[in-house]
Parts: sequence; structure tokens; C-alpha cells
Amino acid sequence: MAYKPQYCAGQTIVADNRRKQMDPAHKLEKLREVSDKDLVLIMGHRVPGSAYKSAHPPLAEQQEPACPVRKLVTATDGAKAGDRIRYIQFSDSMYNAPCHPYLRSYLEAYRFRGIDPGTLSGRQIVECRERDLEKYSKDLVNTELFDPALTGVRGCTVHGHSLRLDENGMMFDMLQRCILDKKSGIVKIVKDQVGVPLDGEVKVGKPMDSKWIKAHSTIYHSLVGTAYRDDAELVEYIQRIHSLRVKYGFMPKEA
Amino acid sequence: MTEATFPQCRISAERLLNPETTERLLNKLIEVPGIRRMLLNGQRLPAIIPYGPAKGLANPHPMRRTIKVGDQDVELQVHVGNVLLELEDRDAIPALKAACESIFTDFTFRIQEGRYMKTEPSLVDYCKYGPNADKEMLGLADPSSKSKPVILQGIK
Repeated sequence: MAYKPQYCAGQTIVADNRRKQMDPAHKLEKLREVSDKDLVLIMGHRVPGSAYKSAHPPLAEQQEPACPVRKLVTATDGAKAGDRIRYIQFSDSMYNAPCHPYLRSYLEAYRFRGIDPGTLSGRQIVECRERDLEKYSKDLVNTELFDPALTGVRGCTVHGHSLRLDENGMMFDMLQRCILDKKSGIVKIVKDQVGVPLDGEVKVGKPMDSKWIKAHSTIYHSLVGTAYRDDAELVEYIQRIHSLRVKYGFMPKEA
Repeated sequence: MTEATFPQCRISAERLLNPETTERLLNKLIEVPGIRRMLLNGQRLPAIIPYGPAKGLANPHPMRRTIKVGDQDVELQVHVGNVLLELEDRDAIPALKAACESIFTDFTFRIQEGRYMKTEPSLVDYCKYGPNADKEMLGLADPSSKSKPVILQGIK
């Protein structure tokens, strides 16, 4: 029988959502349409429409050594062109954000190529070639992985993920990169990811409602969502890993 | 310095408070007799971005503005998360609770009794600020800070 990856343990909706996001066969639901130009503005690495700066000449112009691995692995578009490495970084609120740092790194590793994800407690950064990054960030912002109120594109001053939401339901941001327009209910991004004001504003749509948020959360939270301890299968799995790790230094065999 | 016998309590709501809500809450609280000191606690909102690539730029933030408490202007420097209070005695707590109940109608809150402000200077306080530090401010803010506390007219 062919191997079928299980992605993660658990019987709750949270575990189910985690599996869906990690599974590259699952098509992520598209919820908004942020244009390429707007994404470039939010990331702030280059002026929209300008040429990509390069770190080395295109691979086609280089004399590459005879290497079996290079023959096996096709270079990404960014690598072929010799683009610079650039990044996008996200903060995800613990109050039922649709994605979270660990999961982001997992799903990016499953879905994208040529990336270097960095996982921290409250933020997750992914680095790759610039034109690849712009392609990947479309998926990260336009789909169910993103919520305008609970997810922030933040290159610095990221704190806010573990704080209470404000009265408008937005995650705290010291730099106030995005603003909720109370009249229209639409969230507008007014600064790039490092806090430099944009000339215009980028509309990223309305925050998702609480019903959608609960149904799409990938975070266990005993107060505002599904409690970790309610997921018997996941607790059993974690306890088993813990036990094996303590007993055998993570040797994958049981006594 | 604060007497160790003065009770202290902390009001925390389910959400971080907008300036309008903070204003309404504080105006209700000051009607309660027996509050000695009050501290608004929360995440700092600097007027100038202090670090990072945007360092030095102005940081306009809708949660940082001047509110009116009683007849005094109070400039908010934080996004208010908790309100710490030092009371004359515990009798004021039911009145505080009633004041909060009238404000927090859309989300929950709680009042906890405990020890939230320093009751005596630590060795570090002495090393940093010396023997002549402003004792009213000790434990609440940097005593060498140029900003002074807002004095609200009591109703005692």
C-alpha cells in the first residue's frame, strides 16, 4: 500500500484544519484579492514595477559545475534569475488566528520550494528569492491562512500575538500598520511591514466573522476555542513522544 | 511610601480598552470615594518609533490620545489593558464593581484584589534613584521621569 502522509494527530476541528493546511493536495480557499502591486507595497522590498535586483548573474549565463544534484533539482524562477533573498514575516494572534508560526513553517515546507522558514513563538518569517516570495506571499495573504484582524504582516515590532484583542477585535500593533475603517468595516494597511508609511492604502477586506474564525482556527485555546485537552488523540500522541524522548533520547524504537 | 496595609486591586477586561471606554470608566471610578492612587497599565504607544527601520518617524496611533477625567486632561501613553488601584479600605470594592458593570456591557471583566504596586523600595530602586526618589511614584513609573502624575480632585 502506498504511503499516505497523516500530517498531524488529533480528532478536533483544529487538528483537521491543521491537516488541511499542510496537505498540498488541499486547495486553500481564496478569500480576498490583494493585487501583486499591493503585495509589493506591503512587503516594502522594492518599488512596484521596478526591476528585480540580483545577487548573482542568471544561472543560464553562469558556468555551472557538473553536478548530479543540479541536474536533479530544477531551480526556482527566482534562483534562475539570480534574485536577492527577501522575506515576509507574519504575527498570528493566539485568539483563534487561522494559522500560527509552527504550522506556517510546516505548510510552507510542504507547499513551496526554495524557502527558508524561521519559526519563533509569536512570529514566523519566510525567506526566499524575491520573485518566488511574491508568488508565495499571494497564497499566504489571499487565502484562508490570513485574517485581516488576527494576522499581521510585520517585519519588526511584532508583539501583539499574545495580547488581548482590542475592542474592535483587532490584534494589538504598536506601529498601527493596519486600521479598521469602522464605517465600511474594511481593514486598510497603511504602512509596510517594517512600519514605513505607504503613499496610499491597501485594502485587505473585512475581518472574518467569529463563526468562520472558530471553524478555521488552527490554535488550541481553552477560553476562546477548542481546548488542547479535549483532543484525546493529540494528547496521547504528545505523551507518547514525550515518553519515548525521555526514555531513549528519541530513538524511534520501543523497549 | 505606600503603607502595606492599603488594599490594592486590579481591573482587567476581556479586551484592551479604547480611549473612549477608558475615559468613561475613569469618570465612573473617580466618583467612588476612597481611591488613593491609580495606574493605567498596558502596552506602550510611543509617539516616535523608537527602533527598527522606521526609527524616528512619527507614530500616529488612534489609541493614544488625550482623554478628560473629571476636569483634568490625561494623556494616554499606553493602550490600556489593566487599571491598578490603591484604596483607602476594602469598602470601596463593591462600588468599583458596580462602576465597571455599567461600562463593560459588551465584554467581561474582573476585579482582583492583591498586591500590584510596590509597598517598599527595593535595593535596585535605591541604587537607581538614591534616597531622594519621589516615593509616590516609586513602583509605578520611573521616579526620574519628567512626566508627573495627574492629580484628580477627590470627593472625600
